[in-house]
This record gives sequence, C-alpha cells and structure tokens, in this order.
Amino acid sequence: MNRQRLQTGLWAAVAGLVVALGQAIPYCLEGRLPQAPGEDVLALVLGDARLGVSRTLAEKAEEYFHGGVRHLNCTMQSDAETVAHEGHDDHDAGAHAAGHADHDDDHDHAAAIPAGRDPWQWIDGRVHEQAHRHLKGVQTVELLPWFWAATRMSPKNVQAYESAAYVLSYSLEKPEEGVRLLEEGIRNNPASPQLDFFLGEVLFNRLHDAARAEPCFSATREKCLRIPSDHAKAEDLSLLRLKAVFYLGYIAKQRGDLGRVRACLAEAEALAPKHEVTHDLRVLLETSGTKQ
Amino acid sequence: MSVRVRQIQALARLAVLELYRRKDLIVVFVLSAVVLLPLALLTPFGVAGAGRYMNEMALLLVWLFSLVIGLGVSARLFPPEFESRTIYPMLAKPVARGTILVGKYLGALAASVSALTVFYLAYGFMVGARQGVWFPAVFVQAFILHIGFLVVVTALGLAGSLLLTPSANLTMCGLSVIGMLFFGQRLPSLAAAQPLPGRMVLTLIHWFGPHVEFFDLRQRVVHEWPAIGWGVCGVVLVYAAGYAAVCLAVASLAFRNKRF
Repeated sequence: MNRQRLQTGLWAAVAGLVVALGQAIPYCLEGRLPQAPGEDVLALVLGDARLGVSRTLAEKAEEYFHGGVRHLNCTMQSDAETVAHEGHDDHDAGAHAAGHADHDDDHDHAAAIPAGRDPWQWIDGRVHEQAHRHLKGVQTVELLPWFWAATRMSPKNVQAYESAAYVLSYSLEKPEEGVRLLEEGIRNNPASPQLDFFLGEVLFNRLHDAARAEPCFSATREKCLRIPSDHAKAEDLSLLRLKAVFYLGYIAKQRGDLGRVRACLAEAEALAPKHEVTHDLRVLLETSGTKQ
Repeated sequence: MSVRVRQIQALARLAVLELYRRKDLIVVFVLSAVVLLPLALLTPFGVAGAGRYMNEMALLLVWLFSLVIGLGVSARLFPPEFESRTIYPMLAKPVARGTILVGKYLGALAASVSALTVFYLAYGFMVGARQGVWFPAVFVQAFILHIGFLVVVTALGLAGSLLLTPSANLTMCGLSVIGMLFFGQRLPSLAAAQPLPGRMVLTLIHWFGPHVEFFDLRQRVVHEWPAIGWGVCGVVLVYAAGYAAVCLAVASLAFRNKRF
C-alpha cells in the first residue's frame, strides 16, 4: 500500500516537474528558440515548421485551382493577373499596374501519357491521365478551406493571404471579406509590402474606393524602401514599388494633382525608365497636360 | 470439388466473422465521425459551399482504414493459429494446405471488401446528400479498383505472415504499400536520377513492387474528372489478380515447407 502511494506520489512529482520545465523553457531560452513565449500550442510544438506546412497547404489549394493537376508551371497568380485584366476595363490602372501576363486563361492540355514499352507506365498513364481544367467563378470556393488552413497554420504565409484574398475579392465577388482578410494579414505581417499593395488594388479596383486605397499604396512604397533586400529580392521590390507609384500617380491624376503625378513619374523613371508602367505613367501625365 | 468449395466457404466465413466479432468497423466509424464532423461544419472565411476538401478527407480515411483492415485481417490469419497451436487439429483434418490457404485468403478478402462496401456506401450517400450526385461512373470505378487494391494487399499480408514475424510483416507491407502510393508513379524518373546502385534498386522496385497506385482514383472522384475506360479498368484488375496469384504461390510454397 505504502509502495503504491510512493509510486503515485513520484508520478505526480514527475508530472509537475515536466509541466514546470515546459513552462520554463520558453523563458529560460528566450531568443534562442524559434518559438516565442505566450504563443499558442501549435506555435510552440511546430516552431518554424509551421510555415513549411502552411506552404504545403497553399500548394494544395493551387492544385485544386488546376482541377487536381499537380506540378504545373502556371500559377494562380498569373491567372489572377489575367482575370484582373479582363474584369476591369473601366479601371485602366488595374490592368496596367498588374503587368502583362501572357498566360492563357484555360488549358485544355492534359498531362502527357508516358510513352515507351514500360507496361506499368502505360497503365499508370491511362489511370492517372490528368485533365487540366481551372476552377472558375464560384467553383473557386473549393480553394478556401486550404487557404484557411494555410493562414491558420502560419500567419506569416503572405502568399496564402494574398491568394485567398484574390479568390474572395475577384472570383467570389466578396471584396469586403477579401479586405478583412488582407487587413488581418497586414496585422500579422506588418513589414510585408505585398499585402498592402494587394489591399490597395482590391479597394481601388473592386470597391472603387480611392481614398482608402491611396494610404495602402503609400504604405507599400514606404515598406519597399525600408526592407533591406538582397539581389534576388531587389527586383521584385522595385517592381512592386513601381506599381505602387503608378497607382499613386493615377489617383493623384484623378484628383487633378499634376504636381504629384510628376513626382511619381520622376520616381518611376528613376526606378525603371524603360518599364511599361513608367511609360503608361508618362502617357497619363501627357494626356492630363493636353486636357489641361 | 464441392467438398473443397464447402471447406473454403467455411474457412472464409470464419475470417469474416472474426472481423465483425472484433468490432473494428465500429471503431473506424467513430474515428471517421470524429474527423469528418468538425470538417463538415467548417465555413472558411465565413464562406460556405466548399465540398471537395471533405470528399478528399473522407476518401483518404477510406483508403487508410481499408489498408489497416485489409492488412490487419490478412496478417492475423495464421500467426494466432501457430501460437495457440490450433493449426494442428486443422491440419489433422482431411483439408489440403492449399485449401486452407485459399479459404483463409478469400475470407480475409471478403471481410475487407465487406468493410469497404460499407465505407463506400457511407461516402456515396454523404456526397449524394451534399452535392446531389448519386454514384457516378467514376465512383463505381473507384470502388471496383479499390477492391483490386484489397486483392493485392490481403495477398501480400498473407504471404508476409508466413514468411516474417507479425510485426515485421505489418511494417514491411505497410511501408511498401504507402511508399508505392506516394512514389510508385515517379519511380522511373527517380531511378533515372540516381547513381548506379540506387538506380538498380529503384528499377527492381518499379518492376516487382506492388503498384498499388494503379488502384487509386481519388483525384478523379474528388475533382470530378471523367471515368477511365473500362478496358483500362479491366487491365488493372488483371494486374491485381496476377500479383495476388504470385503472392499466394509464394505463400503456398512457404506454408507447404513450414515446419511446426
């Protein structure tokens, strides 16, 4: 009986010790762990692996977008840009600043059936022959659970926020939900300029709210300037800043603030004098000057 | 001939009864409900209407549980008989060893297929109720090919149970089946990318390993792709029958030479 009591007491002491150690580790090793004290259980257990899992979940959404086809070169973002072109004839700015994607909207091509004399590959090719059909319109609701899981798994997955907001704002015609999601993403990733830019685009192109969009483009520009970038990132950041500057110029033109448009053009020319966006901004200023 | 059929029937019935006596199916259904019910209530970002993720999860569970049941049933056919020595009275009866083997195999297969039928019916009704699509052709093909998968897996488990210890058998069969499901399709390209010893190993696995990925039509069902040709379906079933026959021949050889 005594022995049993001793054993129970020992187990209780060990359990208490384990709990105390678990509580103490984040504070004792502060700064030396990927996890921060006060984070949720998922963060404590998985640490940086969360972003990896989150990216896998976002890839799953990408796979769904292609109708279940895996490992393709075209991405949802390229299609996003195409649709942005198609859907906003009344807003030239969206089309110009989004860039000029040379991506066909639909693909009727199927994944190639492996040829040769290998009977196993022959069977596999027939059984898993893939029909590449993009989800369109309301069908894209199928992507949301994966993006939801991706953003919950890691709030640092900027791409997942961006893609989910695209689906909500453009495909499902729910820009308010898209805006809410992007605002959440910006709260979780305050240093990332991409989400500010996309929020500005949604506000400007979908909700036609230039007053709310302008601060987003300004924030994008400032964040691009603040980020210390390596060579690989520098080009992307420069392009993002250029697009933000274009939007700022476009909104200034709508306000009739030609001085601001000129300032934007000067900044764009300093960034990329031969880029299409700079050219469009120049044309914008010239036409405004002619009209004046 | 009829005596042999009756003997096989009796042995098979025992295996089926064993599955239902252990109440594995109830456990499996409770687990599925625990996983799927919260998922069914999910409305990501406040938007309802997504269904494919549910179908994918449900089919994943069907595959997982069918593998567990198929391997579990087939791998437990002989070892308990050897351990409890009940194999002796069975062998003392005028029943050929081949008949025992085939009877037990068919029993394991029947038990697994009966569980699979319950899973697919549940899945079919779930999808029908949610999406209004009742048992399309691709779904029927997925079910038929899934039976083919069980034909291979139970034969593999049975052969393994006569060659390896129970835990080694379950580990080896589980690893090879899951490995083939993940990498079977890409084995030739993986082999081509390896230096010589690795390439040879992967090529051997490609030619002689159980290509269970042939039976996996989950992507087609989930993403509503068109059905495959029935001829292709037939070829895959022939592959399943051939592979199972080879496994049973190996098992028969092992059982015949087994010293008790």
